[in-house]
Amino acid sequence: MRMDRRTLLIGGLALAAIPAHAAKVAQGLFPTQPPRPLPNIDIRDNQGQAAGVATWKGKPTLVNLWASWCLPCVAELPALDRLKPMIEPEGLRVVALCLDRSGAVGAVNTYARLGIRNLDVHVDHQRQAGEAFGAAVLPTTLLLDDQAREVARFVGGAAWDGQQAVALLRALIAGKPITPDLAPPLVRPTSNP
Amino acid sequence: MKLRVLALVAGLALLSPAPLGASEFSGRFLLETHDGQRVNDESFQGKVRLMAFGYTYCPDVCPTALSTMAGALDLLGPKADQVVPLFVTVDPKRDTKAQLKDYMSAFGPRFIGLTGSQQMIDAAAKSFRVRYEIHQPTTKDSDHYLVDHSAGIYIMDRQGRLVVKMGHLATADELADRVRQVMDGE
Repeated sequence: MRMDRRTLLIGGLALAAIPAHAAKVAQGLFPTQPPRPLPNIDIRDNQGQAAGVATWKGKPTLVNLWASWCLPCVAELPALDRLKPMIEPEGLRVVALCLDRSGAVGAVNTYARLGIRNLDVHVDHQRQAGEAFGAAVLPTTLLLDDQAREVARFVGGAAWDGQQAVALLRALIAGKPITPDLAPPLVRPTSNP
Repeated sequence: MKLRVLALVAGLALLSPAPLGASEFSGRFLLETHDGQRVNDESFQGKVRLMAFGYTYCPDVCPTALSTMAGALDLLGPKADQVVPLFVTVDPKRDTKAQLKDYMSAFGPRFIGLTGSQQMIDAAAKSFRVRYEIHQPTTKDSDHYLVDHSAGIYIMDRQGRLVVKMGHLATADELADRVRQVMDGE
């Protein structure tokens, strides 16, 4: 498999011929069938303590992958910050996982700049999350069941504290199947946050 | 697994269109670094070059190509000293030199942001066969518009010759492997 892929990649000159639209990544809600266990990569909290996939079992979890250099990611963080205290009593864990290379520094600075009060700091300590979780673009938000298996992902920005997103997350909490019709609308930032 | 399948699909997709002759791909450019220095394709002789095109104001989703490049440099260890990672903005209007410099710093001190006049960028994009399109603003805010561009990472050898373009789903591991092969003179 590996060699095959490499052989194909070596044919890369032809890639220069693909039109711009071919590089676009589909956005929206994508159910994961069958549910996929996440690799247990090294995720730490603000104190450097392990805070990864193994700690996400026991209840459903929303994992938002973001970076401080990603404007649409930064733009949706305040909605996630508002969502957390609203939805956690209902049984959902809300995790914002920062992919910055600077680690917790980037997350803390961005939280301070945006006035984030509820989200905890989670950092991708070994910078593995993008690849391990298969996220070619940011933001990507993973929806996990109570066994920390991915049951769906949302690619792009969303108003996470909005009515439609909350309805989607309540379906996740209830263990209902996540279907594409539950997708909250995509949100594009209208200004530089 | 999904990634592998996607990589395979991307790989197959690239074989289907009629390949262009390498002669149409000159890889020439004349641009300015985020520190205001004029550079061209002969400026980094002796170094392997990694080059991506894009913009820092990604309005909907941001490609992780520069993270992949940074990850590959990590994997190369001391050999990363022989590599120059370059990022060419296709949106010089919003990507000022200061903005580019700040953005590059998120990926590491080696990263060099390149910009220039619209003509310079158009010429560079043409010589790399990069297509991009700026969509007219949909709101009154003229700074808010969309830019489509072809994604991927170019690897040039120590003489500046294009060796390969990695697709936008390439992993840091694959990129590092390819760079090692280029260094070893494959």
